[in-house]
Amino acid sequence: MRVSAGTELPVFEIEVRAAGMKTMAVLLRDPNPIHFDPAAVAALGMGDRVINQGPTNMAYVVNMLVAWAGDPARIRALKVRFLDNVRGGDRVVAGGVVTSVAGDGRHQTAECDVWLDVAGGPRALAGSATVALEADEAAGETPPK
Amino acid sequence: MTLDDLERLVGVEFPAGEFTIEGYEHWLTTDAIGSPTLPAGVAHPMYAYYAALGGMGLTLDELFAMVGSSAADGPMFGEAGLEFREMMRVGETYRVEGGITGAARKTGRRAGVFDIVSFELRVVDSSGAVAAVSTNSFVFPRRAA
Repeated sequence: MRVSAGTELPVFEIEVRAAGMKTMAVLLRDPNPIHFDPAAVAALGMGDRVINQGPTNMAYVVNMLVAWAGDPARIRALKVRFLDNVRGGDRVVAGGVVTSVAGDGRHQTAECDVWLDVAGGPRALAGSATVALEADEAAGETPPK
Repeated sequence: MTLDDLERLVGVEFPAGEFTIEGYEHWLTTDAIGSPTLPAGVAHPMYAYYAALGGMGLTLDELFAMVGSSAADGPMFGEAGLEFREMMRVGETYRVEGGITGAARKTGRRAGVFDIVSFELRVVDSSGAVAAVSTNSFVFPRRAA
């Protein structure tokens, strides 16, 4: 794999299941009913489908990075802003693009813009990630601006 | 909460807590978030977040109360950042320490007055090394401010 500014990260797609939200509500001890009770969502005027936990939306982006990097240890940092809701039944697509490659010959990292889009809908989150590269992956450092 | 009260929150440390990555919870989590296959014993990188928030020494309700709010006020996620320093492992217990790192009051044309409160949580392994750092911000509507 050769990596340089402009390299697109392979997308990670998943259909968001209400059952998964219930599992995460228990594991995270998150009592907010918008994640498991459609009636509560409707009562708040937020539609009729349960709303995914924000950290799970973040996890889809991590999944995309893990699949791309091939080793979770190579993911060094991730920062995201939450922009919109993801709902049960939505199909979401996590993607990214390398914006720069930096470092010396042995220790190089790729800076990436990353995002999660609802298919046919809004961007749910956006941010940036840092991923370590193997020695032979960087196709060239990004020149300083 | 007055602006002075808000600004005095910066530097407040949370009680230390701990979090164990239980094998069955890790299985359920990776299933719910659609994780790619991970190396045996290696925790999904999102455990930097799950351990930090799950192991911090106060509940989210207590955190909200500390900043003069509650879940009923509708606090929202602002930004989330993760720094991965060491691979986290299933079965390990981590100490979680941290506190409030930022607090600011803003006024939006549509949102009205709101506060943004940031906090940092460090996930520390049994050797004392920081395995991960989780930074988060919540947005607190201040309708009565």
